[in-house]
Amino acid sequence: MFNYRVYWTFAKKSFLRSAVYRFDVWSRLGSNIIFLLMWGSIWTALYAGKEEAGGVSFEAMLTYIVVSQFLTGVNGAGTPLWEIQEKVRTGDIALELMRPFDVPLRYLFADFGSVAFYIVTALLPLYTVLFIFMDVALPTDWLTWVYFIIASVIGFLIRYCIEMSFGLLTFFLVETGGIEDIFYFAMSLLSGSVIPLWFFPDWLATIAIYLPFQGIYYIPNSIFIGEIAGLEILTSIGIQLFWVVVTYLVLRLIWSRASKKVIVQGG
Amino acid sequence: MPIIEVEHLMKDFKIAKRETGFAGALKSLVKREFITKEAVKDISFTINEGEMVGYIGPNGAGKSTTIKMLTGILVPSGGHVRVNGIVPYEDRQENAKNIGVVFGQRTQLWWDLPTIESFELLKEIYQVSNERYKENMATFIDILGLDEFLNTPVRQLSLGQRMRADIAASLLHDPPILFLDEPTIGLDVVAKERMRTFIKEINKERNITVILTTHDMEDIEQLCERMVLIDHGQKVYDGEISVVKNRFGKIRTLVVDLEESKRTLQLMNGEVFKEEANRYWIRFNREEVSASEIINQITKTHNIKDLTVEEPEIESIISRIYQEGFEEISEPVRN
Amino acid sequence: MTLMRYIELYFKLVSAGIRAQLQYRFAFVMRIVGMITSYTGTAVTMWVMLYQFQELGSWNFYEMLFLFAIAVLSWGFCIILFFHFRSLDTYILNGTFDRFLVRPINPFFHFMAMKFDVASFGQFIFSIFVFIWVSYELGIAWSLGKALFLIASVVGGVLIQGGLLVIISAFAFWTTKSEQFYWVVMYPARNLTNYPLVIYPKLVQWFTAFVVPFGFVNYFPAAVLLEKETPFFPDNIGYFSPVVGIVFFLVAYYIWMLGLSRYKSTGS
Repeated sequence: MFNYRVYWTFAKKSFLRSAVYRFDVWSRLGSNIIFLLMWGSIWTALYAGKEEAGGVSFEAMLTYIVVSQFLTGVNGAGTPLWEIQEKVRTGDIALELMRPFDVPLRYLFADFGSVAFYIVTALLPLYTVLFIFMDVALPTDWLTWVYFIIASVIGFLIRYCIEMSFGLLTFFLVETGGIEDIFYFAMSLLSGSVIPLWFFPDWLATIAIYLPFQGIYYIPNSIFIGEIAGLEILTSIGIQLFWVVVTYLVLRLIWSRASKKVIVQGG
Repeated sequence: MPIIEVEHLMKDFKIAKRETGFAGALKSLVKREFITKEAVKDISFTINEGEMVGYIGPNGAGKSTTIKMLTGILVPSGGHVRVNGIVPYEDRQENAKNIGVVFGQRTQLWWDLPTIESFELLKEIYQVSNERYKENMATFIDILGLDEFLNTPVRQLSLGQRMRADIAASLLHDPPILFLDEPTIGLDVVAKERMRTFIKEINKERNITVILTTHDMEDIEQLCERMVLIDHGQKVYDGEISVVKNRFGKIRTLVVDLEESKRTLQLMNGEVFKEEANRYWIRFNREEVSASEIINQITKTHNIKDLTVEEPEIESIISRIYQEGFEEISEPVRN
Repeated sequence: MTLMRYIELYFKLVSAGIRAQLQYRFAFVMRIVGMITSYTGTAVTMWVMLYQFQELGSWNFYEMLFLFAIAVLSWGFCIILFFHFRSLDTYILNGTFDRFLVRPINPFFHFMAMKFDVASFGQFIFSIFVFIWVSYELGIAWSLGKALFLIASVVGGVLIQGGLLVIISAFAFWTTKSEQFYWVVMYPARNLTNYPLVIYPKLVQWFTAFVVPFGFVNYFPAAVLLEKETPFFPDNIGYFSPVVGIVFFLVAYYIWMLGLSRYKSTGS
């Protein structure tokens, strides 16, 4: 049976824990701002004073990058890949198999806690100020906001399932060098987090469309700036939902294999 | 002749205060308050050349802070230290040549390399002459049996082997002073015995002054004649071990598990100082009564399921000294 | 101890470090593969970015690759010599740093010589491949002078980035944290300089030229070699790279020693 209280406790605990590691909050925010500056400058230079490129206005493009950086902050506040790998190597995760809760869910809820803390104390204040003072295009229609939030949450879940799956691969590999690099590459390029898919060469855009990564940044970002609009929003969210189910099943599969391995071979 | 002199040594630290609860969590994000902790308040002692002294105290008493000041790792906030005529924190590198240091829980050796390579590197770092290196290695191989694992990487050594290698490494440059921090921690009985024999031997034959911190009462009893006991950053006792041993070492604890019984346990020569369910902790003086006498007494009224006799640990002795005070017998033997 | 003794000791300690690392051959190879993957990933991102736009602040794809490769090459050497400095906090927290202080040699030297991470072959393979490819595409005429200048500016770049790693590690003496500072300060800064500095606001350009002189790692030297203009800065400012490196590293060393004396008075 699903025990809400246990998972709620994990979320609450990690919310409080985040506050203790105050330096983490500031440092993450600091690097988030630097990367925002970097990608903002890059896109300003790429547009080079032009009003629009590829049918997208400069203002919309800049908004895309700001929103993307905000979501990067959200997605980066959970348990990072290297920490999952570390916990697998030290046997922390194997130990948790003995506890009366579901481990992937436990980490998801813990992430909810730390992400909530980070959003409330750092991201929201910063990005509210940015949205007020920067020349960015906010959606005027409240429904777009709702769709954006829904798409962002689903994107977060897709990313969680993928990142956790990659992390749990550590159970089966002696050495994970290369694995995380592929993950980070897919995460930054194929997700459309720094370059929207419409600027990709066609063949690469086609590949990206058929992969789950676009659901993490490209879809919510594009909904926000109105590049995905109307009925397309619903199909895009539908695609996201499809990927959330698939990645979740993959995660469950890897997890059950990993658990079996722990039980049989002791990690 | 004193080789270590410590006068009114002091060390303060500032520590951040932990806030609790939601509001506290948010508050600590912005501002933190600090409190000053006096790790070492006012400690003085001298140690003569060739002495072997146990430096004892509960966790957080200020032991390792003192040792760090003697090795030059920490600068004192007040007072004076001299080690072999050198002020450690003023001339750390010079001081380093005079001391050997072994931290029981942390190796000084190169983790991934065959053990012998650590010795060779230390030879270079301490600029030990070839002859001296050969002589010393021959001795250590002989006494400590290093040859059985010299070509094994350090990470694959057993704890006992690693400790032997670590102690040999600390003596490679013939330091007149040796600091041992928990040298027997985690070792099995045989390895402990071997370690103690070796420490005794180098202390006697090479006239090396040894300062030893430990939690193991056996270490102290077997190795040291003198102990300096500190608690809360202050010296509680400095003198012969035998005095402490006579006073507190004869106290034993008997732990018995009884079968269900309605009658409470009444004893003539022992004192029940703790009970939990059907388990009783009984303190007795082994000079007044033997364990078997107490057991006999109990079996008259109760059925014993299980029992153990516990030797006093240094922690419990210290805590008793601290509770009961040492005033009536602590006429400082030195200073 | 004399300088010669220190040099001799350095090679002994370093060769021990290498042998220690080669005990894990598989990990060693996998790290090289990982590095190449990751740098190729950045190069592909640059390519995709310029697929529609052709130019970034008047730098084309090949010029950007060249700029990137200089950074990667000097970073490769930096990993070998200084990368372990970032984890000084771990050494301090678990007490292993003390062992550097109970030995009769300079602790900075001892700490630096402790590790020698030779897994930078990934960086070398990547950057040399890029140099050859880009030289062909852009028709760069290499001369002895240009080659020497490239080497000198890589040395400068190593000292600048190494200096920053040293400064970051020194933070651990005050705050018991350094690894995190690496990720918040240096990692983004390194990413920033993968792209020509001209695209950034003037304040940032000024900062990366004169405060944390990352501009001298690749942007200024690359501009000299590719004969590109560096708006807001004098032409050929890149020739100062080696000098900037030496000065910055000396400052970093001084800060580290200052931190060490602070560590000795607080203990962590």
